[in-house]
Amino acid sequence: MITIDKLCYNSKLRYVNAGVKFGYAISTLLICVMSHSIAIACIVLAVNGILTVHKGGIPFFRYRHYMAIPLAFLFLSTLAIMFNISREPLDLFAIPIGSWYLTSSRHAFFYSVQLILTALSGVSCLYFLSFNTPMPDILEVLRRLHCPKIVIELMLLIYRFIFILMRVASAVTTAQNSRLGNKDYRTSLKCFSSMASVLFVRSFKQANALYDAMEARCYDGSIHVLNENHPAEKKQIVLIVCFEIFLFLILILKGMFL
Amino acid sequence: MSKLQKKLLIVTTILAFSFGIMPVAYGMHIMEGYLPVGFCVAWGVICIPFLLAGFFSIRKTIEANRKTLVLLAMAGAFVFVISSLKIPSVTGSCSHMTGTGLGAILFGPSAVSILGIIVLLFQAILLAHGGLTTLGANTFSMAVAGPFVSYGIYRLGIKCKWNRYVTVFLAACLGDLFTYCITAVQLALAHHTDTSIAVALGKFLTVFAPTQIPLAVIEGLITCMIVMALETYAKPELRAIGFMKEVH
Repeated sequence: MITIDKLCYNSKLRYVNAGVKFGYAISTLLICVMSHSIAIACIVLAVNGILTVHKGGIPFFRYRHYMAIPLAFLFLSTLAIMFNISREPLDLFAIPIGSWYLTSSRHAFFYSVQLILTALSGVSCLYFLSFNTPMPDILEVLRRLHCPKIVIELMLLIYRFIFILMRVASAVTTAQNSRLGNKDYRTSLKCFSSMASVLFVRSFKQANALYDAMEARCYDGSIHVLNENHPAEKKQIVLIVCFEIFLFLILILKGMFL
Repeated sequence: MSKLQKKLLIVTTILAFSFGIMPVAYGMHIMEGYLPVGFCVAWGVICIPFLLAGFFSIRKTIEANRKTLVLLAMAGAFVFVISSLKIPSVTGSCSHMTGTGLGAILFGPSAVSILGIIVLLFQAILLAHGGLTTLGANTFSMAVAGPFVSYGIYRLGIKCKWNRYVTVFLAACLGDLFTYCITAVQLALAHHTDTSIAVALGKFLTVFAPTQIPLAVIEGLITCMIVMALETYAKPELRAIGFMKEVH
Protein backbone atom coordinates (compact mmCIF):
# COMPACT_ATOMS: atom_id res chain seq x y z
CA MET A 1 0.00 0.00 0.00
CA ILE A 2 2.78 2.41 0.89
CA THR A 3 5.55 1.46 -1.51
CA ILE A 4 8.36 3.26 0.29
CA ASP A 5 7.57 1.41 3.50
CA LYS A 6 7.72 -1.96 1.73
CA LEU A 7 10.93 -1.09 -0.09
CA CYS A 8 12.78 0.04 3.01
CA TYR A 9 12.17 -3.26 4.78
CA ASN A 10 13.83 -5.03 1.84
CA SER A 11 16.75 -2.65 1.60
CA LYS A 12 20.21 -4.15 1.98
CA LEU A 13 21.18 -1.20 4.16
CA ARG A 14 18.29 -1.81 6.53
CA TYR A 15 20.44 -3.25 9.31
CA VAL A 16 23.01 -0.49 9.22
CA ASN A 17 22.76 1.52 12.43
CA ALA A 18 19.84 3.92 12.06
CA GLY A 19 21.67 6.75 13.81
CA VAL A 20 24.46 6.58 11.25
CA LYS A 21 22.03 6.74 8.33
CA PHE A 22 20.08 9.53 9.98
CA GLY A 23 23.24 11.52 10.69
CA TYR A 24 24.51 11.06 7.15
CA ALA A 25 21.23 12.09 5.53
CA ILE A 26 20.69 15.14 7.72
CA SER A 27 24.24 16.47 7.55
CA THR A 28 24.45 16.02 3.77
CA LEU A 29 21.04 17.64 3.41
CA LEU A 30 22.15 20.62 5.47
CA ILE A 31 25.35 21.08 3.48
CA CYS A 32 23.35 20.90 0.23
CA VAL A 33 20.83 23.48 1.35
CA MET A 34 23.46 25.77 2.84
CA SER A 35 25.80 25.64 -0.14
CA HIS A 36 23.36 26.24 -3.02
CA SER A 37 26.17 25.05 -5.24
CA ILE A 38 25.75 23.15 -8.50
CA ALA A 39 28.90 21.05 -7.98
CA ILE A 40 27.94 19.87 -4.50
CA ALA A 41 24.39 19.14 -5.63
CA CYS A 42 25.63 16.96 -8.50
CA ILE A 43 28.08 15.06 -6.27
CA VAL A 44 25.39 14.44 -3.65
CA LEU A 45 22.86 13.36 -6.27
CA ALA A 46 25.32 10.85 -7.72
CA VAL A 47 26.48 9.51 -4.34
CA ASN A 48 22.95 9.11 -3.01
CA GLY A 49 21.83 7.47 -6.24
CA ILE A 50 24.65 4.93 -6.01
CA LEU A 51 24.06 4.35 -2.30
CA THR A 52 20.32 3.83 -2.66
CA VAL A 53 20.21 1.86 -5.91
CA HIS A 54 23.50 -0.05 -5.83
CA LYS A 55 24.20 -0.51 -2.11
CA GLY A 56 20.63 -0.48 -0.90
CA GLY A 57 19.28 -2.60 -3.75
CA ILE A 58 16.27 -0.40 -4.47
CA PRO A 59 15.06 -1.06 -8.06
CA PHE A 60 16.24 1.70 -10.37
CA PHE A 61 12.82 2.27 -11.98
CA ARG A 62 11.29 2.84 -8.56
CA TYR A 63 13.99 5.34 -7.67
CA ARG A 64 13.50 7.17 -10.96
CA HIS A 65 9.75 7.20 -10.48
CA TYR A 66 10.07 8.70 -7.03
CA MET A 67 12.61 11.28 -8.15
CA ALA A 68 10.04 12.45 -10.71
CA ILE A 69 7.31 13.05 -8.10
CA PRO A 70 8.43 16.53 -7.02
CA LEU A 71 8.92 17.67 -10.61
CA ALA A 72 5.45 19.19 -10.95
CA PHE A 73 6.01 21.47 -7.98
CA LEU A 74 9.54 22.21 -9.12
CA PHE A 75 8.41 23.07 -12.63
CA LEU A 76 5.66 25.46 -11.54
CA SER A 77 7.59 27.32 -8.89
CA THR A 78 10.67 27.64 -11.09
CA LEU A 79 8.43 29.11 -13.77
CA ALA A 80 7.44 31.77 -11.29
CA ILE A 81 11.05 32.52 -10.36
CA MET A 82 12.45 32.59 -13.87
CA PHE A 83 9.88 34.53 -15.85
CA ASN A 84 9.08 38.14 -15.36
CA ILE A 85 6.54 40.39 -16.95
CA SER A 86 7.91 43.91 -17.20
CA ARG A 87 8.09 46.93 -19.46
CA GLU A 88 11.82 46.60 -20.00
CA PRO A 89 13.44 43.49 -21.48
CA LEU A 90 16.04 41.74 -19.27
CA ASP A 91 19.33 40.31 -20.51
CA LEU A 92 18.61 36.60 -21.18
CA PHE A 93 15.63 36.79 -23.51
CA ALA A 94 12.45 38.78 -23.97
CA ILE A 95 9.24 37.90 -25.76
CA PRO A 96 7.16 41.00 -26.48
CA ILE A 97 3.45 40.83 -25.59
CA GLY A 98 1.91 44.14 -26.58
CA SER A 99 3.88 46.85 -24.81
CA TRP A 100 5.09 44.38 -22.13
CA TYR A 101 7.73 41.70 -22.21
CA LEU A 102 7.76 38.13 -20.97
CA THR A 103 11.38 38.19 -20.00
CA SER A 104 14.10 36.60 -17.93
CA SER A 105 17.56 37.57 -16.73
CA ARG A 106 20.76 35.55 -16.70
CA HIS A 107 20.91 35.86 -12.97
CA ALA A 108 17.42 34.45 -12.52
CA PHE A 109 18.21 31.61 -14.90
CA PHE A 110 21.31 30.50 -12.98
CA TYR A 111 19.46 30.96 -9.73
CA SER A 112 16.71 28.63 -10.97
CA VAL A 113 19.12 25.96 -12.17
CA GLN A 114 20.92 26.09 -8.84
CA LEU A 115 17.63 25.85 -6.98
CA ILE A 116 16.41 22.87 -9.02
CA LEU A 117 19.63 20.96 -8.46
CA THR A 118 19.75 21.82 -4.76
CA ALA A 119 16.16 20.71 -4.33
CA LEU A 120 16.74 17.45 -6.20
CA SER A 121 19.86 16.66 -4.18
CA GLY A 122 17.91 17.43 -1.01
CA VAL A 123 15.20 15.03 -2.15
CA SER A 124 17.81 12.36 -2.82
CA CYS A 125 19.05 12.75 0.80
CA LEU A 126 15.50 12.35 2.06
CA TYR A 127 15.06 9.27 -0.14
CA PHE A 128 18.28 7.77 1.12
CA LEU A 129 16.83 7.95 4.61
CA SER A 130 13.32 6.83 3.79
CA PHE A 131 14.24 4.05 1.33
CA ASN A 132 16.71 2.43 3.72
CA THR A 133 15.34 3.06 7.20
CA PRO A 134 12.07 1.60 8.50
CA MET A 135 9.92 4.01 10.47
CA PRO A 136 10.38 2.34 13.90
CA ASP A 137 14.16 2.82 13.54
CA ILE A 138 13.67 6.52 12.79
CA LEU A 139 11.43 6.77 15.86
CA GLU A 140 14.18 5.13 17.93
CA VAL A 141 16.63 7.78 16.71
CA LEU A 142 14.14 10.51 17.64
CA ARG A 143 13.81 8.93 21.10
CA ARG A 144 17.58 9.10 21.52
CA LEU A 145 17.42 12.77 20.50
CA HIS A 146 15.07 13.37 23.44
CA CYS A 147 11.94 14.06 21.47
CA PRO A 148 9.04 14.25 23.99
CA LYS A 149 7.74 10.83 24.99
CA ILE A 150 4.12 11.60 24.22
CA VAL A 151 4.99 12.66 20.69
CA ILE A 152 7.02 9.50 20.06
CA GLU A 153 4.18 7.33 21.31
CA LEU A 154 1.68 9.25 19.26
CA MET A 155 3.89 8.69 16.21
CA LEU A 156 4.23 4.98 16.93
CA LEU A 157 0.47 4.59 17.24
CA ILE A 158 -0.22 6.72 14.16
CA TYR A 159 2.24 4.61 12.19
CA ARG A 160 0.41 1.48 13.26
CA PHE A 161 -3.03 2.98 12.56
CA ILE A 162 -2.10 4.18 9.09
CA PHE A 163 -1.83 0.62 7.86
CA ILE A 164 -5.02 -0.51 9.56
CA LEU A 165 -6.95 2.38 8.04
CA MET A 166 -5.34 1.94 4.63
CA ARG A 167 -6.43 -1.68 4.64
CA VAL A 168 -9.97 -0.69 5.61
CA ALA A 169 -10.02 2.01 2.95
CA SER A 170 -8.87 -0.33 0.20
CA ALA A 171 -11.30 -3.06 1.31
CA VAL A 172 -14.19 -0.58 1.27
CA THR A 173 -13.13 0.71 -2.15
CA THR A 174 -12.97 -2.84 -3.52
CA ALA A 175 -16.41 -3.53 -2.12
CA GLN A 176 -17.72 -0.34 -3.69
CA ASN A 177 -16.12 -1.18 -7.04
CA SER A 178 -17.65 -4.63 -7.08
CA ARG A 179 -21.07 -3.04 -6.54
CA LEU A 180 -20.70 -0.64 -9.47
CA GLY A 181 -19.36 2.18 -7.31
CA ASN A 182 -16.80 4.56 -8.81
CA LYS A 183 -18.18 3.87 -12.28
CA ASP A 184 -18.51 7.55 -13.13
CA TYR A 185 -17.77 10.86 -11.50
CA ARG A 186 -21.15 11.03 -9.83
CA THR A 187 -20.79 7.74 -8.01
CA SER A 188 -17.10 8.18 -7.29
CA LEU A 189 -17.75 11.37 -5.34
CA LYS A 190 -20.47 9.69 -3.34
CA CYS A 191 -18.24 6.65 -2.81
CA PHE A 192 -15.32 8.75 -1.63
CA SER A 193 -17.31 10.62 0.98
CA SER A 194 -19.14 7.56 2.25
CA MET A 195 -15.85 5.64 2.35
CA ALA A 196 -14.28 8.46 4.38
CA SER A 197 -17.13 8.41 6.88
CA VAL A 198 -17.02 4.62 7.21
CA LEU A 199 -13.28 4.95 7.71
CA PHE A 200 -13.92 7.37 10.53
CA VAL A 201 -16.35 4.99 12.27
CA ARG A 202 -14.02 2.04 11.77
CA SER A 203 -11.02 3.92 13.04
CA PHE A 204 -12.97 4.79 16.16
CA LYS A 205 -13.79 1.15 16.73
CA GLN A 206 -10.19 0.17 16.12
CA ALA A 207 -8.94 2.77 18.57
CA ASN A 208 -11.31 1.48 21.25
CA ALA A 209 -10.35 -2.15 20.60
CA LEU A 210 -6.67 -1.28 20.72
CA TYR A 211 -7.08 0.61 23.96
CA ASP A 212 -8.92 -2.32 25.54
CA ALA A 213 -6.22 -4.70 24.38
CA MET A 214 -3.49 -2.48 25.76
CA GLU A 215 -5.33 -2.01 29.03
CA ALA A 216 -5.64 -5.80 29.34
CA ARG A 217 -1.86 -6.03 28.96
CA CYS A 218 -1.10 -3.59 31.78
CA TYR A 219 -0.77 -0.39 29.75
CA ASP A 220 0.32 2.32 32.15
CA GLY A 221 0.84 5.25 29.83
CA SER A 222 3.95 4.14 28.03
CA ILE A 223 4.50 1.63 25.26
CA HIS A 224 7.62 -0.48 25.55
CA VAL A 225 9.06 -1.86 22.35
CA LEU A 226 11.98 -4.24 22.14
CA ASN A 227 14.54 -2.66 19.87
CA GLU A 228 17.01 -4.52 17.74
CA ASN A 229 20.35 -2.91 18.25
CA HIS A 230 22.83 -2.78 15.43
CA PRO A 231 26.04 -1.11 16.57
CA ALA A 232 27.56 1.44 14.23
CA GLU A 233 30.61 0.30 12.30
CA LYS A 234 33.70 2.44 12.63
CA LYS A 235 34.45 2.18 8.91
CA GLN A 236 31.10 3.67 7.98
CA ILE A 237 31.44 6.56 10.39
CA VAL A 238 34.93 7.37 9.13
CA LEU A 239 33.74 7.26 5.50
CA ILE A 240 30.79 9.51 6.24
CA VAL A 241 32.90 12.02 8.14
CA CYS A 242 35.42 12.08 5.27
CA PHE A 243 32.62 12.66 2.76
CA GLU A 244 31.16 15.52 4.76
CA ILE A 245 34.59 17.11 5.18
CA PHE A 246 35.12 16.73 1.42
CA LEU A 247 31.83 18.52 0.71
CA PHE A 248 32.72 21.19 3.21
CA LEU A 249 36.10 21.74 1.57
CA ILE A 250 34.42 22.25 -1.80
CA LEU A 251 32.15 24.76 -0.14
CA ILE A 252 35.10 26.67 1.36
CA LEU A 253 37.17 26.53 -1.84
CA LYS A 254 34.24 27.83 -3.83
CA GLY A 255 33.83 30.65 -1.34
CA MET A 256 37.51 31.57 -1.71
CA PHE A 257 37.50 31.73 -5.48
CA LEU A 258 34.21 33.48 -5.99
CA MET B 1 -29.12 11.50 -3.22
CA SER B 2 -30.62 14.62 -1.74
CA LYS B 3 -31.09 17.85 -3.66
CA LEU B 4 -28.12 19.47 -1.96
CA GLN B 5 -25.89 16.57 -2.83
CA LYS B 6 -26.95 16.84 -6.46
CA LYS B 7 -26.02 20.50 -6.54
CA LEU B 8 -22.65 19.72 -5.01
CA LEU B 9 -22.12 17.05 -7.61
CA ILE B 10 -22.66 19.40 -10.52
CA VAL B 11 -20.24 21.98 -9.16
CA THR B 12 -17.52 19.42 -8.48
CA THR B 13 -17.92 17.88 -11.92
CA ILE B 14 -17.24 21.22 -13.54
CA LEU B 15 -14.26 21.81 -11.29
CA ALA B 16 -12.84 18.36 -11.79
CA PHE B 17 -12.51 18.99 -15.50
CA SER B 18 -10.25 21.91 -14.78
CA PHE B 19 -7.72 19.44 -13.31
CA GLY B 20 -6.81 18.47 -16.84
CA ILE B 21 -4.25 21.27 -16.83
CA MET B 22 -1.81 19.56 -14.48
CA PRO B 23 -1.23 15.84 -14.11
CA VAL B 24 -0.49 16.00 -10.41
CA ALA B 25 -1.96 18.40 -7.91
CA TYR B 26 -1.00 17.86 -4.33
CA GLY B 27 -1.72 20.12 -1.46
CA MET B 28 1.05 22.66 -1.56
CA HIS B 29 3.94 20.93 0.13
CA ILE B 30 7.16 22.86 -0.34
CA MET B 31 9.65 20.24 -1.46
CA GLU B 32 12.89 19.26 0.24
CA GLY B 33 15.78 21.64 -0.24
CA TYR B 34 13.69 24.39 -1.78
CA LEU B 35 14.05 26.95 1.00
CA PRO B 36 17.35 28.47 2.20
CA VAL B 37 18.48 27.45 5.69
CA GLY B 38 17.59 30.79 7.27
CA PHE B 39 13.98 30.50 6.19
CA CYS B 40 13.75 26.86 7.28
CA VAL B 41 14.86 27.81 10.78
CA ALA B 42 12.72 30.94 10.92
CA TRP B 43 9.50 29.13 9.96
CA GLY B 44 10.34 26.38 12.40
CA VAL B 45 10.74 28.93 15.20
CA ILE B 46 7.44 30.60 14.29
CA CYS B 47 5.71 27.22 14.64
CA ILE B 48 7.12 26.53 18.12
CA PRO B 49 4.54 28.46 20.19
CA PHE B 50 1.67 26.74 18.35
CA LEU B 51 3.30 23.36 18.74
CA LEU B 52 3.95 23.98 22.43
CA ALA B 53 0.33 25.03 22.95
CA GLY B 54 -0.80 21.89 21.14
CA PHE B 55 1.64 19.75 23.10
CA PHE B 56 0.49 21.06 26.48
CA SER B 57 -3.17 20.74 25.60
CA ILE B 58 -2.62 17.18 24.44
CA ARG B 59 -0.63 16.34 27.56
CA LYS B 60 -3.35 17.78 29.76
CA THR B 61 -6.10 15.77 28.12
CA ILE B 62 -4.00 12.63 28.21
CA GLU B 63 -3.31 13.05 31.91
CA ALA B 64 -7.04 13.43 32.46
CA ASN B 65 -7.92 10.44 30.33
CA ARG B 66 -5.28 8.12 28.91
CA LYS B 67 -7.63 6.84 26.27
CA THR B 68 -7.39 10.13 24.39
CA LEU B 69 -3.85 9.22 23.31
CA VAL B 70 -5.26 6.37 21.27
CA LEU B 71 -8.08 8.53 19.93
CA LEU B 72 -5.63 11.27 18.94
CA ALA B 73 -3.42 8.75 17.20
CA MET B 74 -6.47 7.53 15.33
CA ALA B 75 -7.26 11.12 14.36
CA GLY B 76 -3.73 11.61 13.04
CA ALA B 77 -3.85 8.42 11.03
CA PHE B 78 -7.27 9.42 9.69
CA VAL B 79 -5.93 12.75 8.45
CA PHE B 80 -2.92 11.00 6.91
CA VAL B 81 -4.99 8.37 5.11
CA ILE B 82 -7.57 10.89 3.87
CA SER B 83 -4.79 13.08 2.49
CA SER B 84 -3.01 10.15 0.85
CA LEU B 85 -6.06 8.87 -1.04
CA LYS B 86 -6.81 10.14 -4.51
CA ILE B 87 -9.76 12.48 -4.78
CA PRO B 88 -12.08 11.37 -7.57
CA SER B 89 -11.52 13.33 -10.74
CA VAL B 90 -12.79 12.89 -14.26
CA THR B 91 -9.63 13.51 -16.23
CA GLY B 92 -7.66 10.73 -14.58
CA SER B 93 -5.35 13.20 -12.93
CA CYS B 94 -4.22 12.56 -9.43
CA SER B 95 -5.01 15.03 -6.71
CA HIS B 96 -5.12 14.92 -2.94
CA MET B 97 -6.83 16.94 -0.26
CA THR B 98 -4.98 18.32 2.74
CA GLY B 99 -7.42 16.87 5.25
CA THR B 100 -6.34 19.37 7.88
CA GLY B 101 -9.52 21.43 7.49
CA LEU B 102 -11.62 18.38 8.30
CA GLY B 103 -9.24 17.57 11.16
CA ALA B 104 -9.52 21.06 12.60
CA ILE B 105 -13.33 20.98 12.43
CA LEU B 106 -13.52 17.55 14.06
CA PHE B 107 -10.70 17.65 16.59
CA GLY B 108 -9.90 21.34 17.17
CA PRO B 109 -6.95 23.39 15.88
CA SER B 110 -4.46 22.94 18.73
CA ALA B 111 -4.53 19.16 18.52
CA VAL B 112 -4.22 19.39 14.73
CA SER B 113 -1.00 21.40 15.01
CA ILE B 114 0.79 18.51 16.74
CA LEU B 115 -0.94 15.87 14.63
CA GLY B 116 -0.17 17.98 11.56
CA ILE B 117 3.58 18.04 12.13
CA ILE B 118 3.58 14.27 12.66
CA VAL B 119 1.46 13.71 9.56
CA LEU B 120 3.75 16.00 7.54
CA LEU B 121 6.81 14.10 8.76
CA PHE B 122 5.18 10.82 7.75
CA GLN B 123 4.17 12.28 4.41
CA ALA B 124 7.76 13.34 3.81
CA ILE B 125 9.23 9.98 4.77
CA LEU B 126 6.56 7.56 3.56
CA LEU B 127 5.01 9.37 0.60
CA ALA B 128 7.79 11.75 -0.46
CA HIS B 129 5.59 14.85 -0.25
CA GLY B 130 7.34 17.75 1.43
CA GLY B 131 10.64 17.41 3.21
CA LEU B 132 12.65 17.49 6.40
CA THR B 133 14.25 20.93 6.04
CA THR B 134 10.98 22.45 4.86
CA LEU B 135 9.04 20.77 7.67
CA GLY B 136 8.83 24.03 9.61
CA ALA B 137 7.46 26.04 6.70
CA ASN B 138 5.02 23.30 5.71
CA THR B 139 3.89 22.89 9.31
CA PHE B 140 3.16 26.59 9.55
CA SER B 141 1.12 26.72 6.37
CA MET B 142 -0.68 23.37 6.57
CA ALA B 143 -0.88 22.50 10.27
CA VAL B 144 -1.10 25.94 11.89
CA ALA B 145 -2.41 28.64 9.55
CA GLY B 146 -4.91 26.57 7.55
CA PRO B 147 -6.52 24.73 10.48
CA PHE B 148 -6.77 27.89 12.59
CA VAL B 149 -8.56 29.71 9.77
CA SER B 150 -10.81 26.70 9.18
CA TYR B 151 -11.68 26.43 12.83
CA GLY B 152 -12.22 30.20 13.17
CA ILE B 153 -14.63 30.25 10.25
CA TYR B 154 -16.39 27.17 11.56
CA ARG B 155 -16.92 28.69 15.02
CA LEU B 156 -18.03 31.97 13.45
CA GLY B 157 -20.53 30.14 11.28
CA ILE B 158 -21.91 28.22 14.27
CA LYS B 159 -22.24 31.46 16.26
CA CYS B 160 -23.93 33.37 13.45
CA LYS B 161 -26.17 30.35 12.80
CA TRP B 162 -25.28 30.05 9.12
CA ASN B 163 -26.33 26.96 7.26
CA ARG B 164 -24.26 24.15 8.72
CA TYR B 165 -23.03 22.73 5.44
CA VAL B 166 -22.21 26.13 4.02
CA THR B 167 -20.14 26.76 7.13
CA VAL B 168 -18.26 23.47 6.79
CA PHE B 169 -17.70 24.14 3.11
CA LEU B 170 -16.39 27.66 3.73
CA ALA B 171 -14.19 26.50 6.59
CA ALA B 172 -12.47 23.75 4.62
CA CYS B 173 -12.28 25.69 1.37
CA LEU B 174 -10.97 28.95 2.82
CA GLY B 175 -8.58 27.07 5.11
CA ASP B 176 -7.14 25.35 2.06
CA LEU B 177 -6.93 28.64 0.14
CA PHE B 178 -5.20 30.28 3.08
CA THR B 179 -2.68 27.43 3.18
CA TYR B 180 -1.98 28.05 -0.50
CA CYS B 181 -1.56 31.82 0.04
CA ILE B 182 0.80 31.27 2.98
CA THR B 183 2.88 28.85 0.93
CA ALA B 184 3.09 31.40 -1.88
CA VAL B 185 4.21 34.02 0.66
CA GLN B 186 6.86 31.64 1.99
CA LEU B 187 8.16 30.99 -1.51
CA ALA B 188 8.10 34.67 -2.44
CA LEU B 189 10.00 35.69 0.70
CA ALA B 190 12.69 33.13 -0.04
CA HIS B 191 12.96 33.47 -3.81
CA HIS B 192 12.70 36.84 -5.47
CA THR B 193 15.60 37.37 -7.81
CA ASP B 194 14.85 40.26 -10.14
CA THR B 195 11.74 41.64 -8.53
CA SER B 196 10.28 42.87 -5.29
CA ILE B 197 8.66 40.44 -2.85
CA ALA B 198 5.18 41.65 -3.78
CA VAL B 199 5.70 40.95 -7.50
CA ALA B 200 7.22 37.54 -6.71
CA LEU B 201 4.20 36.78 -4.52
CA GLY B 202 1.91 37.69 -7.39
CA LYS B 203 3.81 35.38 -9.70
CA PHE B 204 3.71 32.43 -7.29
CA LEU B 205 0.01 32.96 -6.65
CA THR B 206 -0.72 33.04 -10.39
CA VAL B 207 1.32 29.99 -11.20
CA PHE B 208 -0.28 27.78 -8.54
CA ALA B 209 -3.80 29.20 -8.86
CA PRO B 210 -5.03 26.89 -11.67
CA THR B 211 -4.39 23.81 -9.57
CA GLN B 212 -4.97 25.13 -6.08
CA ILE B 213 -8.22 27.06 -6.42
CA PRO B 214 -10.27 24.18 -7.87
CA LEU B 215 -8.56 21.89 -5.37
CA ALA B 216 -9.67 24.14 -2.51
CA VAL B 217 -13.26 24.18 -3.72
CA ILE B 218 -13.30 20.42 -4.19
CA GLU B 219 -11.75 19.95 -0.75
CA GLY B 220 -14.53 22.11 0.68
CA LEU B 221 -17.22 20.12 -1.10
CA ILE B 222 -15.80 16.74 -0.17
CA THR B 223 -15.34 17.81 3.45
CA CYS B 224 -18.94 18.93 3.39
CA MET B 225 -20.10 15.58 2.02
CA ILE B 226 -17.99 13.70 4.58
CA VAL B 227 -19.51 15.70 7.44
CA MET B 228 -22.96 15.04 5.99
CA ALA B 229 -22.27 11.32 5.88
CA LEU B 230 -20.73 11.37 9.36
CA GLU B 231 -23.77 13.04 10.82
CA THR B 232 -25.89 10.29 9.33
CA TYR B 233 -23.79 7.28 10.29
CA ALA B 234 -21.52 8.26 13.15
CA LYS B 235 -23.52 10.26 15.67
CA PRO B 236 -22.22 8.49 18.81
CA GLU B 237 -18.61 8.83 17.69
CA LEU B 238 -19.06 12.51 16.87
CA ARG B 239 -20.52 13.05 20.32
CA ALA B 240 -17.59 11.28 21.91
CA ILE B 241 -15.12 13.75 20.43
CA GLY B 242 -17.34 16.69 21.35
CA PHE B 243 -18.25 17.60 17.78
CA MET B 244 -22.00 17.06 18.03
CA LYS B 245 -22.60 19.04 21.20
CA GLU B 246 -24.18 21.96 19.39
CA VAL B 247 -26.57 19.84 17.31
CA HIS B 248 -29.16 17.78 19.07
